[in-house]
Amino acid sequence: MEMDLQINVRKHEEIPVIELSGEVDAYTSARFREIMLDIIDSDGVKLVISMNDVEYIDSSGLGALVGGLKRVSERDGKIVIICDKPQVKKVFEITGLEKVFPIYGTEEEAIAAVRS
Amino acid sequence: MTADGNKVKKQIAVSAPEEFALRDEVRWLKSEDLNLFGYLRDSMNKIEPVYVSTYPPSECGIAMFCKDLSSSVAKYTPFSKPSIIAVKREHEIEPYSRVVRYQILRENRQSYLDAAKFINDSSIDIVSLQHEYGIFGGDDGEYALDFLEALEKPAVATLHTVLQNPSPNQKRILQEMGRLCKAMVVMVKMGRKILLETYDIDPKKATVIPHGVPNVHRVKASSVKNALGLSNAKIMSTFGLINRGKGIEYVIKAMPKILEKNPNMIYLVLGETHPGVRKYEGESYRNMLAETINDLGISENVRFNNRFLSLSELVRYLCATDVYITPYLNKDQICSGTLAYAVGCGKAILSTPYLYAEEVLADGRGKLVDFESSDSIAENVNLIMEDKELKESMENAAYIYGRRAAWFNVAVDYLDLFHRIVTAHQSRDQANINAKE
Repeated sequence: MEMDLQINVRKHEEIPVIELSGEVDAYTSARFREIMLDIIDSDGVKLVISMNDVEYIDSSGLGALVGGLKRVSERDGKIVIICDKPQVKKVFEITGLEKVFPIYGTEEEAIAAVRS
Repeated sequence: MTADGNKVKKQIAVSAPEEFALRDEVRWLKSEDLNLFGYLRDSMNKIEPVYVSTYPPSECGIAMFCKDLSSSVAKYTPFSKPSIIAVKREHEIEPYSRVVRYQILRENRQSYLDAAKFINDSSIDIVSLQHEYGIFGGDDGEYALDFLEALEKPAVATLHTVLQNPSPNQKRILQEMGRLCKAMVVMVKMGRKILLETYDIDPKKATVIPHGVPNVHRVKASSVKNALGLSNAKIMSTFGLINRGKGIEYVIKAMPKILEKNPNMIYLVLGETHPGVRKYEGESYRNMLAETINDLGISENVRFNNRFLSLSELVRYLCATDVYITPYLNKDQICSGTLAYAVGCGKAILSTPYLYAEEVLADGRGKLVDFESSDSIAENVNLIMEDKELKESMENAAYIYGRRAAWFNVAVDYLDLFHRIVTAHQSRDQANINAKE
């Protein structure tokens, strides 16, 4: 039984897509943050984060995303999220962060949005 | 020092590491990137809850619950200020932290009305009342009703006790609370069933949100045992504020049979005597336990840690535990923070079948033993220790269940409930204003 966070990074038409699987919490969010900031610094400021396989996200996971947002904002970039998990979407809705990180149901929609 | 008197060899990081929480990120933005800070401030939801409860440094489970709940909710609301109204005895001087903005003197009826006025005159949006009959003043804590009657802001009560056979006055109090509060939170489905069937509470108001548990990722028990100086031992444990209702004597009396099959078993009893109990009967229960241990000649195998343990200490002991036991004697107990914590740490758990344990340990998440039965405890401990597969399956099932109840998830459930209630309350106010216009 493994519930930690797996992070897979790939590109979709030159846009980096970070696929998260597991739990983004106080134990794992620092690693996620580090990988995300590395990608922003090396691969560009337009980024898609896929959370379809995320079980839970806590405030430190949201904190990591805000850290990423700060980095991309400095260079006019954008972070969008793919998520169809009600439990995870609820965290964004309840905090109001769904207005800050647009959430899409499919990768195609997310890629189109991050390009616009 | 450890439970066996040795120095701690090495600190194992078993509790959650320091977080770069949302609140910290936002605080930094204020000085680093004012534009983004302003954007987040405009976009994010704001809600100002106040929690009415006992509060640390008061030593009781509800005080700890309130601290965990309020701090967990606050992590998601960086632009809102949480506050606490602490309920305390008049003669006690508690060095509260700054989050405590007002104090209710437990036996002073006027104090409840003053607290309600304080809230009515403030920017607070919603009241979260932690309820247990014993923490409020008056007969069965009925002064809590004075507070709720005088309140003009919406309130949610979290019920830490739901009696199946209440006295007429206890029943009246909970029913009145049901009328005065917008929602009543219980921690297991059985609690909701009792609320509906025994107290006729409006089903729309009765909500189940699990007891929160610390965010603990699993570590090998052996590494933690080593750090605690217990590397060669098998460990059973029970923690919490000690009192006669805990039934610890039945575990102690089970030890000879357990030791026959597990000679290196150590039973750790972690926690001090409940301060309220100590006031009336001193350490007589603990002394009785010590006498039983001496009579049975098992003083090497039962050890006490007689103090209020910090969360990280507690988690460390739990992670080192092979079998966690709640041998409690009260069938009606509808909530147990200690059992919830053990579930959160993914332990193999034995418990007497009180209401909370029956539900939380169902579906293979634990095993139930008979009330007041040392034989049943011994038999089941030996079974778990013999059957590695069974132990692992119990641990996995408990851990998966516990993840859903991690405080960060429970906080989202509460925040969701708070938002829904505040939104409904504001629309009603707006409707009233519109009607008047």
